[in-house]
Amino acid sequence: MCSVGDVTSIDVTTLAPGEYECMDCNNKFKGIGKKVTCPSCKSSNVKKV
Amino acid sequence: MMAPETIELGFEEILCLCGNDGVIGVVKAGAGQFFIETDDCEIALFTEEDDLFVASGFGTDERMIEGIRCMLYLVREVESPLIALPKDHPASGRLKIVVSAGVETTISCGITPGTHPEQNVLCGMSEFDGLRIVGVAGGVQLRGIDTSKIDIRKLRMYEL
Repeated sequence: MCSVGDVTSIDVTTLAPGEYECMDCNNKFKGIGKKVTCPSCKSSNVKKV
Repeated sequence: MMAPETIELGFEEILCLCGNDGVIGVVKAGAGQFFIETDDCEIALFTEEDDLFVASGFGTDERMIEGIRCMLYLVREVESPLIALPKDHPASGRLKIVVSAGVETTISCGITPGTHPEQNVLCGMSEFDGLRIVGVAGGVQLRGIDTSKIDIRKLRMYEL
């Protein structure tokens, strides 16, 4: 899914994370994974924007 | 085609693949939230029960094995963010251990930037080139290479 600090410098921009918005606290964030929750308030009431 | 080797792996265990030039450590990530930090953004990474953290170390001595254990502990237990360096950053060549996360990681010794958009590749020594490390229920599958010449050990994540 991701490589970090790779000596061959993989372009992390190709990770293509989803853009999400929390419907409870309006936090906007980037996320990767199936069970995405808001990093700020932990709500699972998020939508992909 | 080689049959995949399935190895049981508990949450508190580290699967250690010791080669002649490098060491790879594998732990279950478990369901959780981690962060990837780049030079201009933060990405929340949501892992599942059988996802893996894989650490690849460029060396084989006991310090490297302990380093692998420490790195995986920092990432999973301390929830230390994963730092992604930008291309051509001078620190890239100084790293002794690199880490990946996800349900599957392929070890490559010849990654060309921009040619692996799937991003499930991790830099490793040539003896591990082509090795696919896949998280499965209760364990790990090793696919793609002959693992008979690799010293496979299990370590404890926590020393009592």
